[in-house]
Amino acid sequence: MRAFRSLSGSELRLLFRDPGSLFFMVAFPAMLLVLNSGSDDLEIFVPGYLAMILAIGGIATLPAVMGTYRERKVLRRLATTPVSPLVLLTGQIAAQLVMGLAGAVIVGGVAVLGFGVAPPAHPAALALAFVLSALMCYAIGFVIAAVAPRARTAELIGLLVMFPMIFLAGAAIPREGLAGELREMGEYLPLTQAVTALRDSWAGTPSITTFLLISGIIILGTALAVALFRWE
Amino acid sequence: MTVIEVEDLSKSYGDTRAVDGVTFAVKRGETFGVLGHNGAGKTTTVECLVGLRRPDRGRVRVLGEDPARRRRAVARRMGVQLQEGELPDRMRVAEAMRVFATLYDRPGDWREVMERWDLGHLGGKAYGDLSGGQKQRLKLALALVGGPELVVLDELTTGLDPVARRETWTLIGDLKASGTTVVLVSHFMDEAEELCDRVAVFRRGRIAALGTPRELTGRTGTGSLEEAYLALAEERR
Repeated sequence: MRAFRSLSGSELRLLFRDPGSLFFMVAFPAMLLVLNSGSDDLEIFVPGYLAMILAIGGIATLPAVMGTYRERKVLRRLATTPVSPLVLLTGQIAAQLVMGLAGAVIVGGVAVLGFGVAPPAHPAALALAFVLSALMCYAIGFVIAAVAPRARTAELIGLLVMFPMIFLAGAAIPREGLAGELREMGEYLPLTQAVTALRDSWAGTPSITTFLLISGIIILGTALAVALFRWE
Repeated sequence: MTVIEVEDLSKSYGDTRAVDGVTFAVKRGETFGVLGHNGAGKTTTVECLVGLRRPDRGRVRVLGEDPARRRRAVARRMGVQLQEGELPDRMRVAEAMRVFATLYDRPGDWREVMERWDLGHLGGKAYGDLSGGQKQRLKLALALVGGPELVVLDELTTGLDPVARRETWTLIGDLKASGTTVVLVSHFMDEAEELCDRVAVFRRGRIAALGTPRELTGRTGTGSLEEAYLALAEERR
């Protein structure tokens, strides 16, 4: 437990020291919110931003970090200490989750307190949707980290997967605004389920089907990552 | 008491026999040198000792355990400094020391280890901003922060200037005096001669010679371990 706390704390500090993660997970979503603050249906935008924060952290940052750790043999160095691989990975996930939560609280807070968005209708469902969406993004991120041979490729694949996904899944902009075919493509993206679950929980009726679907993707992604992941 | 027992260790990568039937033992409190050219099998042997690789054949016991099966049990009592093995660039020196200390059950006082390795004034500095010598000192300090009974040091003084090298030797001497067992992988014969009780000279995956530095110079009729090494490592049979 001590090792987990210190490793996750250290990972979190590293994320906060990285101007890129800090900007994209905390400042950027808040900026988008302010830019769209004139809109009448901000409660549609805000849950999307939460999904976007998680996707940026889990699908882009996480594989870049893991790829770098593997390439620079940080993982190898840690493998000569008594720390268990599980603690290492959960520490990484915990740091991402706290970082994502920080971004989410800022965006959500500014939306509710600053722009008069109605507070979440189903807070418990929203919390669950947030955690499940986060885990889904991390599972995707670990699959990318597993298949990418080098740190640079992990970073690149992460960006190439994350960027189209946040637009097509309705995270950065609501899918209602997309043209027919692009909108259709979004149907098949994992992140769309996250956006749906977060939106339904914020202002609507959460559907168990969406939550189950996300859980399914988590299990599938984790199994794939476990099968493919290499420490060196 | 024996801290390391290696019997008939072999490891191949594809068709390449990296280590081919190596046998040696290291006693408690001993400083044991692993010498040899690049590709002689030193690193693979060390990787098998610390549990990073599983031998193809042979028996390895470190502190009474099989490192390939019980890596963590061995790691609790062992400190390792790898030739490769970096830290995240934005991690700071004191932070690295503190985090590594928490990975062990009975860590030493990390602040004291930091001071001893002349890192005290660098506590707030990011790893990526350290010089090569400072990085090397940090890696050594991290190997010792867990209060190990056995330390494995791969390329101890590579990247250090002559003064820092001498200082490092003194610190390894202190470590020896405290009863810690040390395995030293090195290219530098002066270092091995100064620090090691016994050395194994590796050549093409095998141990070409094993003994005290004095025995090896005597056996080869040379004046220094350096000359003895050159005779032993180059010798063709």
